[in-house]
Amino acid sequence: MLEFLSYGFVQRGLMAGTLVAVSCALLGVFLVLKRLSLIGDGMSHVCLTGVALALLTATSPVYVSIPIVMAASAGIMKLTQKFKIYGDAAIGIVSAAGLAIGLLLTALAGGFNTDLLGYLFGSILTVSTSEAVLCGILLLVVLVGLKLFYRCLVSACFDEPFAHTRGIPVHTVQLGLVMITSVAVVLAFKVVGIFLISALLIIPPVSALLISRTFKQVLGWAACFGATSVWAGIYFSFIFDIPSGATVILVNLIILLGCYGWSKLHAC
Amino acid sequence: MPSALRAENLHFAYTRVPVLENVSFDVQRGDYVGIIGPNGGGKTTLLKLLLGLEKGRGKIFLFDTPLEQFRAWHKIGYLAQKSPVSQSRFPISAQEVVLMGLAQRGSGVSVGELKQVHEAMQKTHTRQYAGTIFHDLSIGQQQRVLLARALVSNPEILILDEPSTALDAQSREMFFDLLGELNKQQGVTILLITHDTGEVGKHISKFMYIDKTVIFFGTKQEFCHSAAVAKQLGPFAQHTIDHLHNHHGHCPLGEDCQECAHGGNHA
Repeated sequence: MLEFLSYGFVQRGLMAGTLVAVSCALLGVFLVLKRLSLIGDGMSHVCLTGVALALLTATSPVYVSIPIVMAASAGIMKLTQKFKIYGDAAIGIVSAAGLAIGLLLTALAGGFNTDLLGYLFGSILTVSTSEAVLCGILLLVVLVGLKLFYRCLVSACFDEPFAHTRGIPVHTVQLGLVMITSVAVVLAFKVVGIFLISALLIIPPVSALLISRTFKQVLGWAACFGATSVWAGIYFSFIFDIPSGATVILVNLIILLGCYGWSKLHAC
Repeated sequence: MPSALRAENLHFAYTRVPVLENVSFDVQRGDYVGIIGPNGGGKTTLLKLLLGLEKGRGKIFLFDTPLEQFRAWHKIGYLAQKSPVSQSRFPISAQEVVLMGLAQRGSGVSVGELKQVHEAMQKTHTRQYAGTIFHDLSIGQQQRVLLARALVSNPEILILDEPSTALDAQSREMFFDLLGELNKQQGVTILLITHDTGEVGKHISKFMYIDKTVIFFGTKQEFCHSAAVAKQLGPFAQHTIDHLHNHHGHCPLGEDCQECAHGGNHA
């Protein structure tokens, strides 16, 4: 039953998927509580620009997309902080721009092809070794960042003005969080596809919030749910020959429903 | 007395609508300043400017250090008007909220920090809520926890924006008595926006009346006789804010009140 684990591409996919899903879940906790969860959606649309540009220039979509998505994320933060545009509006503007430029570049590259469809809907089993290593580095950065700045991050998420009066550089902290999320989003498009990336950032943290009483519990459960969804998603997709990205997200939704039920039971 | 907080020619506008114009004052160490004024007069904006939460024109000095260079934030305690998480269930206990008032380094908590947190919660009678999720507390209980957060670093200046609006009568009295004690016994400088002038009048040493600019800044006694304040409020309101004088109540100024000493009732 577990013979599929003997394939190298499955092992790479599982490892990269787990690493990136855990990173997304941990980062997502802060984004959800800071009400920035849709920034992942905006970033994923900008990914299309990176992927289309990479296909046009025959380079690596991951390495081309990372700086583009980071720049777009910095743009979103700039729009909200300097120009006082509402966060959701800023995400909408950058997201639309990313999608429009991506579609234009796709047309220039000769329209949609199988490569592009793979990025749109995910192709976890095509993850390369260097991409898997990059996923490992990402999780390491996230864990070290959490260890060093945990109290700073929680404080800035909970009460931004008060955090400012403690001398915490709130805008820099948020920018750092969003920059790391940009890298996570780019690495996640191979796992679940551009269209479903934001679900990896949002659903595990929301599920964890339903059943946790402390912040550290939320982080722990979110990471568990992220990893579990990748393992179960890949397993079912292999067994039933269905798309892996969509299966990962459906497993996440089932976990969310379970957490909701558990929270209702314990509220009674 | 050395300066605790000084503002020089502050100007601030929201998209070209002026909120504060030419605001200058010098709050000395140990002052307890009640900031009053009409809605939209710029009181909250002034506090935000003093804390660097908004950027305007002019100069601000905290303990004679320009705001841009000020780093000793543990000397400042701040309590905002609104609770920060009124709509979402942030998974954090009251104790962890109070802990945020201390330096935010790393991920662990030292024994010394925990002791400071418990002392601050003791002062605001919130120790029993230490393990409770902050969101599950009532608004009044949350406000007392947030006061503990403002006090936990033993600040030298406390900046409070209408902190008593969510408190019941008993908590409000306890709250203002605690502020009065901190001011008198520990010399903590306090700036307090309030409409609760009757209760706070017992403790404050100075009034600041703000309506886009500083209309009045001086002692309670000067406030009562200020022509500028009388012009803004009318003599009856001016008298009511400071003294709440009537034949059925008591004078919050107590022995300081020259009017009462001469048998007057300000009527």
